[in-house]
Amino acid sequence: MNTRVVGATLFVKLMSVYREKTTMFFTLAFPIILILVFGTIFMGKDNVNFQLYVQDLDQSKTSATSVETLGESGKFRIIRVDPAADVTQYIRDNKVDLVLVIPKGFEVAFMQRTVLRDYKASVNITYIYDPSSSTVSTKMEILNGVLAGINLEMSRMPPFLRSAEQSILNKKYKFIEFFIPGIIAMAVMTLSLFGTVNLNTELRQKGIIRKLSTTPITRTEWILSDILYQFIIAVVSTTAMLLVSYAVFDVNLHLNAWLPAFILLNDFAFVGIGMILTRFVKEAQSAAAAANAISFPMMFLSGSFFPIELMPGFLQTLAKTLPLYYVNEGLRAAMIFDDNLAALRASAVIGTFAAVVFILGIIATKWEEG
Amino acid sequence: MTRANDYAIEVENLTKRYGGVLAVDDISFTVKIGEVFALLGPNGAGKTTAVEIIDTIRTPTSGKVSILGMDVSKKKYDIVRRIGVLPQGFSSFDRITVRETLQYYARLYRGRNTDIDRLIELVNLKDKSKEQYRNLSGGLRQRLGIALALVHDPEVVFLDEPTTGLDPRARHEVWEVLQGLKEEGKTVLLTTHYMEEAELLADTVAIISRGKIIAMGSPGELIETNANYQILTLRSADEKVFEIVRKLGFEPVLYNSDKIKIRVEHTEGVQQILSAIKEGGASYLGLDVRKPNLEEVFLKLTGEALHDGHIGEEGSA
Ligand SMILES: Nc1ncnc2c1ncn2[C@@H]1O[C@H](COP(=O)(O)OP(=O)(O)O)[C@@H](O)[C@H]1O
Ligand SMILES: [Mg+2]
Repeated sequence: MNTRVVGATLFVKLMSVYREKTTMFFTLAFPIILILVFGTIFMGKDNVNFQLYVQDLDQSKTSATSVETLGESGKFRIIRVDPAADVTQYIRDNKVDLVLVIPKGFEVAFMQRTVLRDYKASVNITYIYDPSSSTVSTKMEILNGVLAGINLEMSRMPPFLRSAEQSILNKKYKFIEFFIPGIIAMAVMTLSLFGTVNLNTELRQKGIIRKLSTTPITRTEWILSDILYQFIIAVVSTTAMLLVSYAVFDVNLHLNAWLPAFILLNDFAFVGIGMILTRFVKEAQSAAAAANAISFPMMFLSGSFFPIELMPGFLQTLAKTLPLYYVNEGLRAAMIFDDNLAALRASAVIGTFAAVVFILGIIATKWEEG
Repeated sequence: MTRANDYAIEVENLTKRYGGVLAVDDISFTVKIGEVFALLGPNGAGKTTAVEIIDTIRTPTSGKVSILGMDVSKKKYDIVRRIGVLPQGFSSFDRITVRETLQYYARLYRGRNTDIDRLIELVNLKDKSKEQYRNLSGGLRQRLGIALALVHDPEVVFLDEPTTGLDPRARHEVWEVLQGLKEEGKTVLLTTHYMEEAELLADTVAIISRGKIIAMGSPGELIETNANYQILTLRSADEKVFEIVRKLGFEPVLYNSDKIKIRVEHTEGVQQILSAIKEGGASYLGLDVRKPNLEEVFLKLTGEALHDGHIGEEGSA
């Protein structure tokens, strides 16, 4: 292995792409477009608050204040339903899943309780709901919690059991922050895989590989230069993606040495797969098709775009056999959760895979022809 | 020195089979150090297959090939440092300049001090050295390819159809470069289907047809032993000329609609034909008598033309 040979080969490949500006532009633009599109789609989804439909039959000052208080809890956006409306019909007509009904006599009962200290006075708040809605039970639970809080408040007794919330995450993350590491993993995979397959089939068809086979360059030198070349492209592409993400979506991610480490491992693995493909699929077009056949399932099944927890169990098991899954996991562990241990575990898996594939790639690469 | 070291290339019983096709059929030859050796044959004869096995690009079905005393199947890595190859249909990195390409290939041979400028001058690419490969014409590309084959000052040079696809001017420019190599005393193995190229450049020519070497020797020897006659060409549209020549017992061939070619065993035959035409009251516009070339040798040996169409059109340039 001669580093000057690797360096010279790297230079030739970099100059070739640098001088082909349009290709380079589209290579860099594609993942950025993905981030912009998905980021925009999911931008609103981060501050989820439920819409709460309320029908106030009491129409009193107290009932109005209570409804306002519900709204101020921050968990609901209150929408008022006309007291004259038939709620069941209203639910059907407006595709609403739940309407909270404040009964007539609410204020009277409230006064009896607070002013006259009549502890028997109570009032029924009715939930009229559509059980076929998937979110309605969550909504009712939250409502129950809020109502329990109000009851407690009114009893004026300090609570004995208090709850303190502590998320396992150091901070809440936005969807776009979940999405970006997945797109980086996906982009580096496609760049490495297609870059390698396209470059090598093109050079083979042009006969350049044949000429190189009559020089002392070794397969290891050639593939290493491929890996470095794709790594540089991947770093440029990732930098561009991050700049756009920070500028447009104001994301907050942990950027540390794990990021280049996972890019490099991802790159090793998929350049290796690319070399193996190039060896066995002779035609440039079928090689590109084979690369597609590998990268597409990888993209959609390994959790690049959405958490694999959303998929059925057998697909989750399948996902865990895909190398890209470990890049996704590792990058998310590092960039979102700042979890070094999880990142280390993921890097061990993808690292082992990359080493095996890289060696197979060297073995598969054949300079001589039949 | 052992006997083996007098030879740059030794090929023994080389055979290459592709499925049912015998691309190279049991060929043997040797190339001495300093010799320019040409494999001459039509398309599909097996030249590229043979030369690519010899210069380590392909592997043989059977047979033995040594370069500078080293077996190509065992010492590829040592051999490639001492040979330079211009593959058939040579191509290079589109967006890399002439100079950069030369520097790159020089680097592949690890740290020798290559005089790039001298190479650029040798193949006459001085004013194109900053041009990217994709902007070069066919002739310039071939010249760059030749320079790349020489970048590490190799002992043996392989050139597979160095002038195919070039226009006549570009071809002559490449020939000039190759004659320079010959004068430098490089060992060259050349393949071509242009008899003129073989005749001009080669010390030894091996004629190859359907995978077999059917004749081998210096161009002069090959012509002497296989085509010991003269060729008389008459330019005339007069149909009578054709008839008169035929009645004399010759076998005239009409081509290009107004040329008649006659193979004549002895010089007296020429006299005989010309007098008979005069006596018969026919006329011709021009005549040419020449010795046969390798084209005719090939026709004689195989019954086929080296090129499509009639023989002799590329004739004496
Ligand atoms: N890689 C290959 N696979 C199958 N057949 C081949 C291959 N290379 C050459 N041939 C066949 O071998 C014969 C000789 O081809 P080639 O060596 O290219 O001839 P030439 O260089 O003289 O034109 C042809 O019939 C060709 O079709
Ligand atoms: Mg050929």
